[in-house]
Amino acid sequence: MGVFEAIALAAAFLALAGTAWLPSRALRSVGGAWAAAGLLVALRPLLGFAPAALLAVALGALAAWRLPEAVLRRIAFALPSLLLLTYVTAVLMYLAPGSPFANERAAPPEVERTLRERYGVPEDATAFFTIYVERLVVEGTLGPSIKVQGRSVEDLLLPALPVSLALGALALVLAVVGGVALGVCAGLRPGSGVDLSSMGLALLGVSLPNFVVGALLMILFGIALGWLPVAGWGGYRHLVLPAITLALPTAAYVARLTRSGTIDAMQQDYIRTARAKGLPERLVVAKHALRSALLPVVSFLGPAAAAIMTGSFVVETLFGIPGMGQWFVKGAINRDYSVVMGTALVYFALITAFNLAVDLVLAWLDPRVREAQ
Amino acid sequence: MWRPVAALAALVAVTLAAIGLTFSSATRTPADFRFVNGTEPKTLDPSLMNGQPEMRVATALFEGLTRRDAKTLQPAPGVAETWEVSEDGLTWTFHLREDARWSDGRPVTADDFVYAWQRLLDPTTGAEYAYFLHGLVGARAYNRGGAAEAPRFGVDQGVFAPDPHTLVVELEAPVPYFLELTSFFATLPVPRWAVETHGDRWFLPGRIVGNGPFLLDHWRVGDRIRLVRNPDYWAAEAVGLETVDVLSIEQPTTALNLALAGEVDWLPSLYPPELVDVLQERPDFYSGPGMIVYFYRLNVTRPPLDDPRVRQAIGLAIDRREITDALLRLGEIPATAMVPPGMPGYGTPTSGLGFDPARARALLAEAGFPGGEGVPELGILYNTHERHRQIAELIADQLRRNLGLRVRAYNQEWQSYIASTRALDYDIARAGWIGDYLDPNTFLDLFVTGNGNNNTGWGDPDYDLLLAAAANVGAASQDPAALLAAAPEPDALAAALAPLDEEVDPAQRTAQLRALRLELLRQAETLLVAEGFPVIPIYFYVASGLVQPGVEGFYSELSLPDGSRAANLQDIHPLRDIRVPAARN
Repeated sequence: MGVFEAIALAAAFLALAGTAWLPSRALRSVGGAWAAAGLLVALRPLLGFAPAALLAVALGALAAWRLPEAVLRRIAFALPSLLLLTYVTAVLMYLAPGSPFANERAAPPEVERTLRERYGVPEDATAFFTIYVERLVVEGTLGPSIKVQGRSVEDLLLPALPVSLALGALALVLAVVGGVALGVCAGLRPGSGVDLSSMGLALLGVSLPNFVVGALLMILFGIALGWLPVAGWGGYRHLVLPAITLALPTAAYVARLTRSGTIDAMQQDYIRTARAKGLPERLVVAKHALRSALLPVVSFLGPAAAAIMTGSFVVETLFGIPGMGQWFVKGAINRDYSVVMGTALVYFALITAFNLAVDLVLAWLDPRVREAQ
Repeated sequence: MWRPVAALAALVAVTLAAIGLTFSSATRTPADFRFVNGTEPKTLDPSLMNGQPEMRVATALFEGLTRRDAKTLQPAPGVAETWEVSEDGLTWTFHLREDARWSDGRPVTADDFVYAWQRLLDPTTGAEYAYFLHGLVGARAYNRGGAAEAPRFGVDQGVFAPDPHTLVVELEAPVPYFLELTSFFATLPVPRWAVETHGDRWFLPGRIVGNGPFLLDHWRVGDRIRLVRNPDYWAAEAVGLETVDVLSIEQPTTALNLALAGEVDWLPSLYPPELVDVLQERPDFYSGPGMIVYFYRLNVTRPPLDDPRVRQAIGLAIDRREITDALLRLGEIPATAMVPPGMPGYGTPTSGLGFDPARARALLAEAGFPGGEGVPELGILYNTHERHRQIAELIADQLRRNLGLRVRAYNQEWQSYIASTRALDYDIARAGWIGDYLDPNTFLDLFVTGNGNNNTGWGDPDYDLLLAAAANVGAASQDPAALLAAAPEPDALAAALAPLDEEVDPAQRTAQLRALRLELLRQAETLLVAEGFPVIPIYFYVASGLVQPGVEGFYSELSLPDGSRAANLQDIHPLRDIRVPAARN
């Protein structure tokens, strides 16, 4: 890494940290401006420049005026961190040995020059970053993939994202339903047989790698019994095995979190109060205990949802599913720079969105958080 | 209490509905023939592709001057109905059939080939396989500077079209495998109008214009390519399959499970290698020699590997039988030379690399390292793969046992591994090379001084001279003294040169020159494996796979026109000729 890159990185970190101390008035204008800028980039390819600019400025002003400070702070934080993430990704990518243009069969230097020119991949990370951001802002595109010819990164990610989102959502629902049920059963009678067996199951779920679980399910239900297709994507029957495989580790984690939350909650005073006023045990658990027992689960679900919904490379390759997960790994292994940047951006967007959602849900569930805001 | 349950049920329903939208209707009915194609094709542009997965699809979508006959893999008439070659072997004239059509209805003309070949050679195209046509008059200049440097190339030089159905190709020197090149993917025709309208996205579904037996129906990256029969193909009635699914699957266990569950018809080589013993017993398993060599590069710029005696000692200390019989177990052939067996007319050179630990120790002592003393720890670099790791560990152990060397096997993933070997940042590095055409040259020209794929630091003017002579035997045979001086076995070369002094008819002369050419290549290979040792060949691959019973037109062993049998060295199975039993459809 060169001196210039080091200085640029340090400055970006400072700018990022600075958003935490922005005074209220400055925050309103900065947050509004960032929101407008982001909207402009997103809307311009859809609407054309002038209408998009008009709409973006209007919405940005509205945001600066109306949005609560906490949300504006998130927006103020998002844009510099987005730039920082892009830059760090570019620098790290260039630090990795090899280049997207190295093939088993050597290409003459003039060929490599032509290719570098065509894909906008100069020899140095900062120059690449400049080209990349410029292309993103001016043309509104994530750039062409280098290894999958003739396709832009959005051509690759847009059809893959819904697949991963859908499969991930299903797995998440399975994981939450299964995990919470298991965790509550275990947490209500700690030390009992139910507790031991469900926690044993959870331990197995956490520790068995999903390529083992997936392969076992495939062999059992796909080949030996022949009930379900072993791999591929084309019908609901194709979903069952990968969704279970994907859900298992998350379910196990949720079960453990729920169990400890339940044990904790059942010892609280308000549970005694609820019992004392004669509520049936079913309602005590469902209405009072569960609400606080689930807090750690909800906090965990933000990042977990982002991770599960951007697809798992292992599960997707194992079951031959055309989702997002493959691009995280293929992009990095092939040094397909624009794909690496694209996946990083999508992951960033999802994680920001889910964390915001978790904040909102937590505020709704937990009065303490609500008051703090 | 019921509200959350109802909400949850609604959430699941919405999720499932959303998933339904991601299914594509095209893939709901299974295709007539489905096969695992390994990694996703990078492109379907014939000028820009470089691998087998691309090749399998491209030869279904496009047809060259010739195509390969499934049963013999010999060039059969494709777009060219007939052809003739001049007596000196330098000018080829192809007569194109009148009824060959592009999928948009235009006739396939000789200009389409001129355009495609010019485009392949155009430096701004960036085609890796441009060197395939370097034998054409003016092609090298065109590849260097385009039309500015070779204005006549494509007009009346190298390759040109005197009329829409005649294509003339001029070679600088006779190329014995030239006809084979005309079925290779790099020489397929390209529709100029599609490229000019859609730029580098012209080969995507809905835009691609082809002239082959199949059309591109559907392409979902990471899933499959669906091909359908081309009704306008000139021999459409010869095509047996209505639909083909080309699956992009890289995971060996997944691929094998699909084959075992009967969900794919052909699985070429992509199965977990540990299961070889079990799979070999199955009736649907096939295997045969392949045209791929597995070898180790030695970095000759790094002491003590700069001493050929040390390099030879390493080669002599490797017990290849242990690798092929105990580890690989598929009938791989231990290799002491670089060119796989099966090249017509080619004799394998006498190698200095057979297993001989005593001689290896003597050589190492002679180089000043008795018992391996004084040799720094050597690293064997391999690209991350379980099989390569096992072989590297085994060889490291053999070198320890037989030579007393300290050897460490280490891995890098693909792009880093390529960068390291290019930069000569290794001691010993694993490599493999797939032959592109049935001629020793495809394996030997890598080691010419400075070749981009040499990557050993080795170079030998004699080797370069012999290969250059083989590329133009007619001219080279005028100066036998220089050739004999360069040859490691002058007597054998003299024997091949001798008949040239006699007066014979042209056909005999051609045969003599051909034999001389192969002898020159053999002499060059001798330099490689008996004198220079920049590489240590380990074994020749076996091509293997699973194919469902009842699939017709699939030949894992070829039947040549003269009645003999031959191995399907490249595991090539043209989709045009494959048929499946009607009951399955």
